Amino acid sequence: MASKTAAAKDIITLHGSAAIVSEFFCYAANSILYNRAVYPEESFVKVKKYGLPMLLIEDESVKSFLSNLTSQLSEWLEAGKLQRVVLVIMSKATGEVLERWNFRIETDNEVVEKGVSMEKSDKEIMREIQAIMRQVASSITYLPCLDETCVFDVLAYTDTDVAVPFTWIESDPKLIANPQMVKLHAFDTKIHKVDTLVSYKNDEWDEEE
Amino acid sequence: MILRTPPQKKLRSDPGDSPAPTGSASSGNHLIIYEDSPLPASASLQTSHDNSDQHLCTYQCRQMVKADVLDALSKAEKQVHEYQTKLQTLNENFSEADVERKRLRDKFLYSEQELAAAKGREKMLQEQLLMEINTSQERYTKELQSFHELEVKLQSEMNLRKKAESSAATAEEKAKLLEDKLSQLSGSVDREKKRLNNDIAQLGKEAKLSVSRIGADLERMQCRAKNAETESDLLRSQLEDLKMKFDECLQEKTELDKKLSSFTSQAASSSDNSVLVKHLQEELKHYEVEVQEARKLKSRHLDAGLLNEKLFEEKSRRERAESELSKLHELQLSMEKLENELSSWKSLLNDVPGVSCPDDIVTKFSALQNEVLGSTVKIGEASTHCKQLEVALDATQLGKQNAETEAALAKEKFEALKTDVKRIEVMLSLVTGEKEQLKAVVNELRKSNSEGAVSGAADGSLIQGYESSLAKKESYIKDLEKDLSQLKDVNNRQRYEIELLNEKLVNEARKIKSLERESDRLRSEISLLESKLGHGDFSAANTRVLRMVNTLGVENEAKQTIEALQAELQKTKERLQAVEELKSQSGDAGKLVDSHITGKIAQLKEQIATLEKREERYKTVFADRISVFRRACCELFGYKIVMDEHQRPNGIPVTRFTLQSIYAQNDDEKLEFEYESGNTSILDNGYASQGEIAKQIEIFIRKFNSIPAFTANLTMESFNRRTLY
Repeated sequence: MASKTAAAKDIITLHGSAAIVSEFFCYAANSILYNRAVYPEESFVKVKKYGLPMLLIEDESVKSFLSNLTSQLSEWLEAGKLQRVVLVIMSKATGEVLERWNFRIETDNEVVEKGVSMEKSDKEIMREIQAIMRQVASSITYLPCLDETCVFDVLAYTDTDVAVPFTWIESDPKLIANPQMVKLHAFDTKIHKVDTLVSYKNDEWDEEE
Repeated sequence: MILRTPPQKKLRSDPGDSPAPTGSASSGNHLIIYEDSPLPASASLQTSHDNSDQHLCTYQCRQMVKADVLDALSKAEKQVHEYQTKLQTLNENFSEADVERKRLRDKFLYSEQELAAAKGREKMLQEQLLMEINTSQERYTKELQSFHELEVKLQSEMNLRKKAESSAATAEEKAKLLEDKLSQLSGSVDREKKRLNNDIAQLGKEAKLSVSRIGADLERMQCRAKNAETESDLLRSQLEDLKMKFDECLQEKTELDKKLSSFTSQAASSSDNSVLVKHLQEELKHYEVEVQEARKLKSRHLDAGLLNEKLFEEKSRRERAESELSKLHELQLSMEKLENELSSWKSLLNDVPGVSCPDDIVTKFSALQNEVLGSTVKIGEASTHCKQLEVALDATQLGKQNAETEAALAKEKFEALKTDVKRIEVMLSLVTGEKEQLKAVVNELRKSNSEGAVSGAADGSLIQGYESSLAKKESYIKDLEKDLSQLKDVNNRQRYEIELLNEKLVNEARKIKSLERESDRLRSEISLLESKLGHGDFSAANTRVLRMVNTLGVENEAKQTIEALQAELQKTKERLQAVEELKSQSGDAGKLVDSHITGKIAQLKEQIATLEKREERYKTVFADRISVFRRACCELFGYKIVMDEHQRPNGIPVTRFTLQSIYAQNDDEKLEFEYESGNTSILDNGYASQGEIAKQIEIFIRKFNSIPAFTANLTMESFNRRTLY
């Protein structure tokens, strides 16, 4: 996190940047689960974050799952081994992948190797994250309706030399055939740059049209 | 003003021509001198004539002469007067000419100044032009050099790009091939998975059926056990009653015996005693029947115990079956994985060229991955080169724009110079016109001055000076004209160079357009790659996809299964406890019965052990005998016979015999026969389908229906081959 304020810019370290990105992913995942109605509305509680009212799930199992996930992501981010994080929404009945929320991460290897710190305003980063959260909330206007019960899973694209923890296993990428893709905004901490993209299965009504 | 000098009047020579001299003398107010002194020179000639006539003339002659002289004087005066007027007019003209000369001189000086200024401007312009030409030449040379360098770079980049494209195309083709193979593999894998899943489903169903059957059997056995237990309880209670009755009966019997003995000692024979005896006999029979029933109950109790034991055995078998089922599932999964891997490796071995063993596949894949990595690196380098080319393009475009602006500026300057040159030419023409006018004026002045000698000398020197200056100006003007022509040549050359530059600019613009098209294509490729990245494609060499094991759905399912298993465990534990309690209860009540039962069980076990030993002995003896028989058959008939059981797809068991001749040259020379219910048939294999063997089969087996003849013939042929050849 920002440790000092110097003029209008804050100093950001590798650890701080990893914390920002993993926290962003946690809130983004909660927002996606709420907006896509993967869990019922009453399971969420409102909190204030990034200058916006954000919704966090109260289910203990999901909370623990996300907290374990974000801690592992933070570890991989600090090591510079994380390339992408994908939140996959699948049909519970058929297991078919309906949506892929793709968070692509570019790491400044110089920072990882040499441990230097960068300067960027916290407000600027927060503004960029705010824009992404707004886009996630407004995505319901163009994403197809999920009429069936859905479940979600999280995939992590890492380097091949990463030691796989015992709670993680290798998986297939759970791709969607002939998806529609919408690119959202990105945010940059000067150490990690996160691009957001959502790909979804073509709605049958849209195909017929 | 051009003065026309009047023609000189002729001097009077004839006095008769003159009119009345007195009139002329009197007309004039001039003093007439009548002298005999010599007259002026003009009159001197006349006087000379007159002198010759003086001697002859008289007063009249003198008067006439005087009149003539006066006339001449008047005429001379008139002439003088005229000359004076002429002189005045000439002076006026001269003054006018002087004024005009001054004016012209001023004009001339002004024109000189203008010429000098024009010359200076021309010099400046020439210098500027030269500088611009030099700078444009330098830029042109630099641009040419840069163009050459860029062309060289372009060619090298084109070559690199072609190489990269070719390598990318080959890599793409390879990747496509691999993808096709992967798709085929995946299809085959899916098919096999489906088949295996079906098999597993069937096995699972069968297992479930067997488990349900076993459960049903178990329940049946449990029910039987319960019934047996209840029966045993009832029987026990009955047994106790019977025992009590038996004891009572025994007591009564002893009493009766005592009584009988007492009765026999007393020797009392009465009907009552017989009746009592009969009654007692009946009671004894009854008691014997009851004892038999008790024995039956005992046997039933024994059966119940045996059933309990069987129940326990069945339970243990069920547990073992369940454990083995779970192991079977695990084994099936591992088998599936191994089979999948084996099939994939086999198909890869068949499909991938240049591969003979699984290790080669790894090296081949690593080589392909390296190639793909190299091609991606090359693509990256090509993209960087393209970016550099784009940068160079931008720079050339900027240079082109600058050159265009400079060319426009040069054109404008050229046009300005042209206008200046035209203006100077116009001025020159004006100056030459004025010069000619001045020349004409000067010539006239010369002419006028040559006739009048009063003020001609000074004017002549001035005019000579003007002429010399005019000559100088003419020469200067000629020099200027030469310079103009040179400038024109230079301008033509510059125009030509500008045209060449324009052509080159056009070519460069075309090149720029082509490069822009290439950059658009590369951008589209980049967007395609980015879309692929966004789609989720990744390189397995650099990236691994991981997910958390304890996902929420699995957790919930696992929890549910765990809860269900825990409930079943509790139920089975309760049942076991109940059975154990019953067993313990039955153990307390029927200890006597158990001892008999255990004795019988021990006897049965001994019998079983002896039977098993006997069976093993029979097996060893049979194995020895059968091995001896087989060796003898091999020695006698020349074929090693291997017998094994098979099952046809329709479920019919069939015995298969594999024969290998002792004279066979390799292990592939094997014949296979199938025996089923007395009928023997030969099976097709690689050795049987060979030309000679197939012929022999056709002849001996198909035609003559004789397998021994075939085998004997084959033995002879192989013997001949081994020994004679």
